[in-house]
Amino acid sequence: MFDWLANPNRFKKITNKLEPLLMVISLLFIISGLYFSLFDSPKDYQQGDAVRIMYVHVPSAWLASFLYLSLAVSCIFYLVWKHPLADLISSSIAPIGALFSILTLITGSLWGKPMWGTWWVWDARLTSMLILFFFYLGFILLHNAFERKIDGSKSASVLAIIGLINLPIIKFSVDWWHTLHQPSSILKFDGPSIDNQMLIPLSFMIIGFGLFSLYLIIINVKTKLIEKKCEALILKLNLKEIL
Amino acid sequence: MNSIHSSWSNIFIAHIKRDILTNSRSLLDLISIVGFMILIIILFPLGLGPIKEKLNIVSNAVIWVGLILAIIPSLEKLLQKDFENGWLDQIATSPAPLEIIMLSKAISYWLIMLIPLIITSPIFAILLDMDLKNIPWLVISISAGSLAISLIGLSGSALILGARKGNILLPILIIPLMTPILIFGVGVNEAVKINESPFGNLFLLLALTLIYLVISPFISALLVRIAIGR
Repeated sequence: MFDWLANPNRFKKITNKLEPLLMVISLLFIISGLYFSLFDSPKDYQQGDAVRIMYVHVPSAWLASFLYLSLAVSCIFYLVWKHPLADLISSSIAPIGALFSILTLITGSLWGKPMWGTWWVWDARLTSMLILFFFYLGFILLHNAFERKIDGSKSASVLAIIGLINLPIIKFSVDWWHTLHQPSSILKFDGPSIDNQMLIPLSFMIIGFGLFSLYLIIINVKTKLIEKKCEALILKLNLKEIL
Repeated sequence: MNSIHSSWSNIFIAHIKRDILTNSRSLLDLISIVGFMILIIILFPLGLGPIKEKLNIVSNAVIWVGLILAIIPSLEKLLQKDFENGWLDQIATSPAPLEIIMLSKAISYWLIMLIPLIITSPIFAILLDMDLKNIPWLVISISAGSLAISLIGLSGSALILGARKGNILLPILIIPLMTPILIFGVGVNEAVKINESPFGNLFLLLALTLIYLVISPFISALLVRIAIGR
């Protein structure tokens, strides 16, 4: 089913066309989203201008968890169907996801100081986000810890799949426990409870961030493909010298 | 069917016997784990100051955290020795299922390393000035949670099998997995402190232990197979 895209050459051909397109579209979304969110959206009646942190905080939080999901899915593909490209994809997603989860925590604490009066509280949402960061960190460290690279890829994939259990905890932590973090206002059964004037710039930022991280992942994967090719070439040259 | 079943249980018991025997030849590990636990417990009164009220508040959490920290150095050796001398290779080629052997590893680790900690935990509780009515619940909650801790530890030590600097990696990998055990384990005694029923947290703790009991042998066996390249 996925053999079609798993061919590295075909992957390269498609992504070569996709790459500049993704960059332009994502920058357009991010720039227009930033304009709308910083200048053209209303102040919150309680929070004032500090509400604008949300336009960075929410997209990075969504992406941090969504990227973990896609990381784990590609790990499953790697373990079950043993596509080498799936491993390259998961190892390219990991640093970007880790950055987004750190960005979430930093923007959250910048917002928390004026609003909650504290940089950090140990509530369920914040703690589970921190644990997500440690799963990303563990994945990256374990991936690089082995002499034989294939061992590292496999072990790290198993770890990523175990860490999948953390995602529903992040999503529902604000509903299950009464915490300081406000409950979700966009993905709800009875429609979003956020005003359109705020929802539109927010969705621009989410789309922009998502496309931009896709762009970064594609660059990462292509670099890793080239690295692999170089390694193979060096091996070939060495072999010729020996013979 | 019956003969297969009995042979599996024979394998299980034989491996537990082997682990207990090999570990009883080097009692240093056992002494070091309990000693490490005592030292962690000593550090807290030194850091907080010997004020009884303060110690009483933190005692429950300190014992749980100490339990998790104290076993980490010994986890490294849980599979590493058998991996290096080729014993795991031999076992993986035998018809005996690797999952059963992993389960026996976890159980024997629990018997050897964690039972002494469970037995000595009332002493730690008294050192940290815990209320007497809380001590039985502490022992019960630790007994329920420690099996899960040893199962997670087994998966963790299977994860780093064959890795460079695995001993540095291990805490980063397993402490996130231990957090639910810690939360519910501490929750048992916190409920007793405010005169509420501790059974909610205790049952959740037991449920987690049972989940890990089912999952962990399979994950560990998978990781061991990856490590020995099979």
